[in-house]
Amino acid sequence: MTTLHNLTIKSFHEGLVKKTFSALEVAQTFFKYIKDTDPKIGAYLSLNEENAIRDAEQVDLTIAKDEDVGILAGVPLAIKDNILIKDLPATAASKILENYAASYDATVIQKLRAEKAVFLGKTNLDEFAMGASTENSAFRITKNPHDRERVPGGTSGGSAAAVAGHMAVAALGSDTGGSIRQPSSFCGVVGLKPTYGAVSRFGLIAMASSLDQIGTIAKTVEDAAILFGAINGKDPLDATSAEVEYGDELFAPRLEEVKRFTVGLPEEYFIGGLDEEMRRAVEEAIQKIKSLGLQFKRISLPHTKYALACYYIVMPAEVSANLARFDGIRYARNEKLEMRNEKLRDIYFKTRGEGFGAEVKRRIILGTFVLSSGYYDAYYLKAQKVRALIKKDFEEVFKEVDVILTPVAPTPAFKIGEKIDDPLAMYLSDIFTVSVNLAGLPAISIPVRKYELAKDGLPIGFQLIGKPFREADILGIGQYYEKITA
Amino acid sequence: MLSPINKKTLEYLAELARIELDPREEEKFLKDLQKILDYFEELKMLDTKDTRLMTDDSGLKNVFREDEERKNTNHQAGIEAFPEKQDGYLKIPPVFESEP
Repeated sequence: MTTLHNLTIKSFHEGLVKKTFSALEVAQTFFKYIKDTDPKIGAYLSLNEENAIRDAEQVDLTIAKDEDVGILAGVPLAIKDNILIKDLPATAASKILENYAASYDATVIQKLRAEKAVFLGKTNLDEFAMGASTENSAFRITKNPHDRERVPGGTSGGSAAAVAGHMAVAALGSDTGGSIRQPSSFCGVVGLKPTYGAVSRFGLIAMASSLDQIGTIAKTVEDAAILFGAINGKDPLDATSAEVEYGDELFAPRLEEVKRFTVGLPEEYFIGGLDEEMRRAVEEAIQKIKSLGLQFKRISLPHTKYALACYYIVMPAEVSANLARFDGIRYARNEKLEMRNEKLRDIYFKTRGEGFGAEVKRRIILGTFVLSSGYYDAYYLKAQKVRALIKKDFEEVFKEVDVILTPVAPTPAFKIGEKIDDPLAMYLSDIFTVSVNLAGLPAISIPVRKYELAKDGLPIGFQLIGKPFREADILGIGQYYEKITA
Repeated sequence: MLSPINKKTLEYLAELARIELDPREEEKFLKDLQKILDYFEELKMLDTKDTRLMTDDSGLKNVFREDEERKNTNHQAGIEAFPEKQDGYLKIPPVFESEP
């Protein structure tokens, strides 16, 4: 039996078809390991053992018949708990959805089912994907597997910790302002946030619909690419999903192509607020990419300093609209309320007052404020204009460079409790990631080096940002980067 | 100059958002929101008089479909997922208050 620690999608598939192990054996080993290990980490909110075992057995039956299976067949995956899997809990880590079970599969889940992937369970997140540390979960705090006194980042902290902690081969997360990339950087794994529209959002519990995107978290860039290859595509159930054909270049980049890229280094991302350790790590990544033969160029994205303020106006505005649906009537109910005897108005106030955590309430109220009469022009309209300027900055520089390289976060993983009482300090964790969501671009977080669990100190990632629908470019550089750092 | 957020504004916003806040939360939120709004002041330095909105050229188009009956809504699953139901109907609290 192989060890879980070096299983990737690729090596799992090879072992499976060579019959080194069965899908069932691996699934069982994962559940045993999760039950031993996860009480110390807290990556999962719920497990899907019975279904996972059954699905793994199905894959083994296919193999036994010597039929071909796809690369994702039997692969044990972790799914963020704001993505719907039929009949399983989907809490978004909120008390308000504590008793809710999904009545349908998200489109990404349907696609992965068609590939015969196995879902181990649902992972922890900041409530409704609002936060930067996974400390805002109503149910538990997830710990960083590299240092259990530190946060795994957020909001896909459970998914990143599950992959880093060898409790899943790969995972799905969602990224609204950095929620895949920042936890991936903190946990030493790879996180891909696709172009807005590349992946259907149908069945993702909506936070900020113009910014949300489902993406992949994996141990290698190649795995992140394989998983992205399976979930992208136009979906009639998501009007913002795009008709784009991604070819084999996602998984099999050619070095001659990759070498021809010019990488932009935006000056605004390398000044002030950046930890010295981060600066050194990102410099290390730059030197290695240079050694592949790529050209570098200094560039400027002049509106960068307005991005965070812009983001924290646009996002709460959309949050306040999207979360209006949690009214205490639909989805799940406050069991303490005797419905017949309460006034409807009181049901709303009490359900939402008790069911939402502090950060969610803060953002709903902030969003209500920036959209309210008298303030709309000064905040929301202004932010939408700034958003257009930020997007234009990227369009201009992409005439000169193919990809952009930046840090992912200003610091490595911070201590649990360090920022929880200061929302603005927490928001600043997103400073290098939000622009990408505002502009709708694809970006990836890649560990600067390989970080063995609890051996090599705190992981640090760097970010590659690509042109719209050019995931292949950042994945291509990433896959060659991995080859020279392995 | 925008007026800073005060207790009255906060209570009005909570009313609009249908969220019950306890006095401790109110106090904390007032401080937090003021700090966040102060941070937004930076945006004012930027002249956007002639800037077009992002939504003006998003490139997104309306998605239309034929106006015909489709059977892809799972009626039963919808009812099943509702917290309270009876005989295939959804049960909700009374909307109108009863006579005294």
